[in-house]
Amino acid sequence: MISRRQFVAAPALIGPALIGLSRKTDRPVTGGFVNDSFPLGHRLRDRAAFPKPAQQLRVPIVIVGGGMAGLSAAWHLDKRGFHDFVLLEMEQQAGGNSRWGENEISRFPWAAHYVPVPAKGDSLARELFEELGVLRDGKWDERVLCFDPQERLFINGRWQEGIEPEDGATPKDRAQYRRFMEKIGEFRSTGQFTVPMENRAKASPLDRMSMADWLVQQGFGSAPLGWYVNYACRDDYGALAKDTSAWAGIQYFASREPEEKGPLTWPEGNGWIAARLIDKLKRYLRTGGMVYGVVRSGNTIRVLTERTEYVADALIWAAPTFLASYVIEGAPRAEGFQYSPWLTANLTLDRIPDQKNAEPAWDNVIYDSPALGYVNATHMSLATHVDRTVWTFYWSLAEYRPEEGRRLLLARDWNYWKEAILNDLARAHPDIRQCVAHIDIMRIGHAMARPSPGFLFSEERGRWLKPAGNMFFANSDLSGFSIFEEAQYRGVEAARGALRVVGRA
Amino acid sequence: MSIALFLSVFLIAACGLIYELIAGTLASYLLGDTIFQFSTIIGCYLFAMGIGSYLSRFLHRGLVARFVSIELMVGVVGGFSSSLLFLAFAYTEAFRLVLYVVVILVGTLVGLEIPLLMRILKERFQFRELVSHVLTFDYLGALGASLLFPILLVPKLGLVRSALVFGIFNAGVALWSTYLFREQIGRSHYLRAGCFVVVALLGVGTIFADRISNAADNSLYADEVIFSRTTPYQRIVLTKWKDDLRLFLNSHLQFSSRDEYRYHEALVHPGLAALPGAHHVLVLGGGDGLAVREILKYPSVESITLVDLDPEMTRLFSTHPVMSGLNQHSLTNARVHVINADAFRWLDTNTEQYDFIVADFPDPTSYALGKLFTTAFYRLAAKHLASGGLIVVQSTSPLFARQSYWCIVESVKQAGLRVYPYHVYVPSFGEWGYVIGSFEPYEPPKQLPSGLRFLSTANVAELFVFPVDMQPVPAEPNRLNDQVLVRYYEQEWKDVAH
Repeated sequence: MISRRQFVAAPALIGPALIGLSRKTDRPVTGGFVNDSFPLGHRLRDRAAFPKPAQQLRVPIVIVGGGMAGLSAAWHLDKRGFHDFVLLEMEQQAGGNSRWGENEISRFPWAAHYVPVPAKGDSLARELFEELGVLRDGKWDERVLCFDPQERLFINGRWQEGIEPEDGATPKDRAQYRRFMEKIGEFRSTGQFTVPMENRAKASPLDRMSMADWLVQQGFGSAPLGWYVNYACRDDYGALAKDTSAWAGIQYFASREPEEKGPLTWPEGNGWIAARLIDKLKRYLRTGGMVYGVVRSGNTIRVLTERTEYVADALIWAAPTFLASYVIEGAPRAEGFQYSPWLTANLTLDRIPDQKNAEPAWDNVIYDSPALGYVNATHMSLATHVDRTVWTFYWSLAEYRPEEGRRLLLARDWNYWKEAILNDLARAHPDIRQCVAHIDIMRIGHAMARPSPGFLFSEERGRWLKPAGNMFFANSDLSGFSIFEEAQYRGVEAARGALRVVGRA
Repeated sequence: MSIALFLSVFLIAACGLIYELIAGTLASYLLGDTIFQFSTIIGCYLFAMGIGSYLSRFLHRGLVARFVSIELMVGVVGGFSSSLLFLAFAYTEAFRLVLYVVVILVGTLVGLEIPLLMRILKERFQFRELVSHVLTFDYLGALGASLLFPILLVPKLGLVRSALVFGIFNAGVALWSTYLFREQIGRSHYLRAGCFVVVALLGVGTIFADRISNAADNSLYADEVIFSRTTPYQRIVLTKWKDDLRLFLNSHLQFSSRDEYRYHEALVHPGLAALPGAHHVLVLGGGDGLAVREILKYPSVESITLVDLDPEMTRLFSTHPVMSGLNQHSLTNARVHVINADAFRWLDTNTEQYDFIVADFPDPTSYALGKLFTTAFYRLAAKHLASGGLIVVQSTSPLFARQSYWCIVESVKQAGLRVYPYHVYVPSFGEWGYVIGSFEPYEPPKQLPSGLRFLSTANVAELFVFPVDMQPVPAEPNRLNDQVLVRYYEQEWKDVAH
């Protein structure tokens, strides 16, 4: 006879077995990690031995780093009629955070995916966009202004238009939104919050407190407003509001007053810009050649790659600033510079999830998710009907300290992140697992500069803004945050400096 | 005896839950927002049961007779609840009111059942046993109903018939009770006759359930559905009543065969008749082939290219005997070339030029469709106009959606074209609007093809005159990054509907 204990235990054993058997079999999802850059980076960090270059070339200007800053530096040199330079990129594909990919459905971004419509004051960005045919006679090409509907938020079990939480907001919340925007308007009218930030920024006590503390100090206790501001910090800086300088948090809102409903975007995000710059500048570009050493030698600078040693009169360091101390002989450590680790994923959907009564937007955000939501690559298609698409899923590991986040990023396997992504999306799209066929994941350990309280107006940052003799630093991290316009500005500024060194200014 | 008694408890509990589930399902199905509908309906229903339980104290004498009549009332109200709700949704504006009245009525009656039954049975059992048994069977009934509902009832019987069948169960319990408790009520011919009447009523309802659900399902399609297919792009429904054929795409009426000639003559001839040298014509949308039928009246036209997204649509109107009869086999004419493609993308990847372009898209009910009414679209279409060519755009109703109409006119204008707005009265649509866009000045035609049923050289110029209530109102152009049209349109048609 079955004992009481066995009787009790039986369902406990059979239960999971039955659940296991009867569990709906989800379709298999293929994919893996792509574009891993840390093996190369770790060789530098660990001071691995590199082969001696076989040849030596004399080049007046060398640009290190083929992201947006390096490409912008090259763009400026070329425009000024200076052609005697090289642009060195360690990866096989230039573009940095503006890299992109393509599959049989669409092109898609790997990170940066939009540029807010540049204001009249941002002459550099406007100059580039005029050159690329996006801005003509003061009018923006309507095909690259983000199509309607731009953004939506999944909250309280349904989608609302826009990401400022409206659904369920109380009159008190709305009053706080209004007061917050008024406050931002006041900051905007000081003229100190501009893009690029160096134009008019003035040292401010706001930089010494966190955005979260500033909200408390101003009496902004509304939970949805708090979520919204925190989301903005996570989205633009990869940091929580409590880890973001209040000055930077305010800059996000106060620096822009677009003349046109935007942003500018393309299926491949800022990859569209990168691709055009790469095409214009391909004669200067050397990919797959990591710079492992930079050594001063009299007035010249020796730039060492595995194949070639370049002897230059001026160097533009457009790679992340923290790498300088690993590569440039005698360079100090970049103290105070912090970088948020990110994870981005491109999901191939061969079916569109059920939208119920909502229409998909370009940027789709889930309230109270730890991730940032997804951008739909086919949103900028002219078609009225798409049956397959690619979503780019963004996740800044903001709740971790950067080192912890990086450790986590490397410690977990693809399957772990795949499940995390699908579980997150399932909150808004219960049928997501029936729609996704493929997920490629990109792990970026040092994705974006993080404007921690106190950094923007620190002496440390100020030190790197000045050239070290004939070496010019150009990465967007010098601005404290990684956005297209800052990278472009820093790149062009460095190029101007380098031209002065070679006597072409 | 006692088993029979508790079986009735089981049955009435199941019936009670079924009515509640039906109300919740129907409300979610018709109104959307499942969470809200189920929460409020369950809440109201339970509250109404509370009212019923409370009211039971005021019933003193003749408890069995009362119980039987309550069962009959539950049977009638509950049994016909889903028919009533469907019809209320289809034919009245007061669906929500009917919904909550039905829920509260059924809930109150159901709330009366168990307290009454327990009082009837209290002499036969010990209180301890009574409570235990009644509640056990009550909850078992609920379980049975909740499992049966999704697995068997909804898929096999449908909502209308399920309610009716459970109404019959209620009436059955009533009838049975007249036998079970015959000592207490004595000879009760009236009650028993009542039971038979209710069972018969519900039985008849069950037989005609299909008609009821058809009448309701097709509330929009008031007539007989002769064809219906869901394609990857849309839901195509054709209805027929006597000689009137109607086409619906996603529940929006596209034409009625009785007056479509007004719509299509007005769409094609004011523009095309003004272009005596037109050889090449492009039709965007218009997969029904009716605009093409009108264009084929011009011998000078050598080629007509029709670009429609949905292959099912053009196949239907090429091959279906009734439909291809209506368009006079226009889609299989040798001069006609049918392409199934997304119009905006197709235009973007082609360089052909046309003398006359017809943009005959469904109304901008979504951002996806709204793209086909943007400045960017018209700018692109204008590039495909041969020298001296014209484009005509179906532009929704200048009367019901006045700002939407003028928004479309403004969008065509912003694309750099001169605009010539006009309108026509189509009985099944109401006042309908179009706009001609052209680089050159345009004048209404002095000659028209023969055999037209609506347009004549005498009335064609009149189409361009707008009465006061349709005259221009300020409207922003519709742009890809700011689709004001979709918002205007939604607001204006909402105002018309209420």
